[in-house]
Amino acid sequence: MQTPAIASSAQPRLTRGVRLQTDSKTGNSVLLFPEGVLELNETAQEILNRCDGRTVNEIIQALAEEYDVDPKMLAVDVEETLADLKRRKLIELT
Amino acid sequence: MTNPRPYALLAEITYRCPLHCPYCSNPIAVACADAVESAVPSGDTAEPNALRTAHTTAELSTDEWKRVIREAADLGILQIGFSGGEPLARRDLPDLIRAAREANLYSNLITSGIGLDDDRLCALRDAGLDSIQLSFQSDNTNLADEIAGTRAHQHKLDVAAKIRAANIPLSLNFVIHRRNIDRLPQMIELAESLHAERVELANVQFYGWAFLNRAALLPTREQVVRAREIATAAKARLAGKIDIFYVLPDYYENRPKPCLSGWGQRYLTVNPIGEVLPCPTASSAIPDLRFENVRARDLDWIWRESESFNRFRGTEWMPEPCQSCPQREIDFGGCRCQAALLTGNAANTDPVCELSPNRASVDAVLHELDSLGYHAPAWTYRTNPKGSPVASPHVAASR
Repeated sequence: MQTPAIASSAQPRLTRGVRLQTDSKTGNSVLLFPEGVLELNETAQEILNRCDGRTVNEIIQALAEEYDVDPKMLAVDVEETLADLKRRKLIELT
Repeated sequence: MTNPRPYALLAEITYRCPLHCPYCSNPIAVACADAVESAVPSGDTAEPNALRTAHTTAELSTDEWKRVIREAADLGILQIGFSGGEPLARRDLPDLIRAAREANLYSNLITSGIGLDDDRLCALRDAGLDSIQLSFQSDNTNLADEIAGTRAHQHKLDVAAKIRAANIPLSLNFVIHRRNIDRLPQMIELAESLHAERVELANVQFYGWAFLNRAALLPTREQVVRAREIATAAKARLAGKIDIFYVLPDYYENRPKPCLSGWGQRYLTVNPIGEVLPCPTASSAIPDLRFENVRARDLDWIWRESESFNRFRGTEWMPEPCQSCPQREIDFGGCRCQAALLTGNAANTDPVCELSPNRASVDAVLHELDSLGYHAPAWTYRTNPKGSPVASPHVAASR
């Protein structure tokens, strides 16, 4: 599967009609959209919780600080996750 | 056995509908009186009291539906589809959507669009509606109106534009059959021009009225082959722009559809009179199954304990060739309703499967179609349940 490049200055946001909420049965985050439910892994959950107008780069920095890891290591994970969500049309990049 | 957890509730809030589509999956024979709705908006003309009888065949009331919605959320359900009939025929729809929002459910309105104007659209959006799925019968006005048995197409086009303007996510649903399948390219063009985000091109599945009208609706093999090519090409061309879901015509398949992702695994349906169904077509297709009612039991008990939900759960109920089949947890033996309708026993392997001893029942239908050539018989239009008004008073469309 071809992975589109994610610009570090892009601002990811949930696509219109997509809702992020906690699943009361599991305590995990889920994305809800027309006719679908996506159960999120921890990485996706942490990223999406920060998709509030911040750029990709700012999200990576914030996560690196919080988890005390090298931002370069995180960048690959974050970009892959965002690319996957973009491919499913669950986020938009502006 | 640990119980699975349901994800989605289909709330069939009424069987009333101003359209008469001959492929409707609603039961053909249904006794269903009008609901006692508690929230008639001011300025709205109340319906005559004679229609507001409440007895066992009455539609669930507003308060009963609100309770069902809360129980669904407690059970772990995350999504609710408001369907019918035409769900807009109930004036309390905004109240039900608000209840769904308060219970943290994602709500989808599955509608013909008849009865939707700017005011109602605003009321639904303000109540928290998340998305709308709008049905179309064709791209062509004359054909669409002929299929619907009423003049509705132009109104639907107007409604689609209003939904766009109200900034609500829009899916389109086209039921595909012999009379419209050759217009698939034009239907996809219509979806593009209406800026839909999602399009279902769903070959008709034969339950309810569609089963009755099967000879008129079943497409030919040539039509099906061509449609599949067109849908596949459109899917690739529109990737990233419109999500296209093509629902296969299963009589032409060799293996059955994984119906419902398994019986009693992810979905439940509550019909207008409160019966809880593992599948929306089960009440008419499987006459020997007794369904519980939300008026007598709570959803949690019905989901976990009822005979109807446990009858075909898991794999233990399966006969051969399913029981020893490596596909048994992939297609779950196919569709119970189809097995009941075509073989007389809901516990049989779906006869669509090439391994089923009853595959001949499907082949006979296809063979009969071949012998008809291009002369399909006329269909019977869907009628409304007895004791119901054909449409609520604000509906302008006429036959």
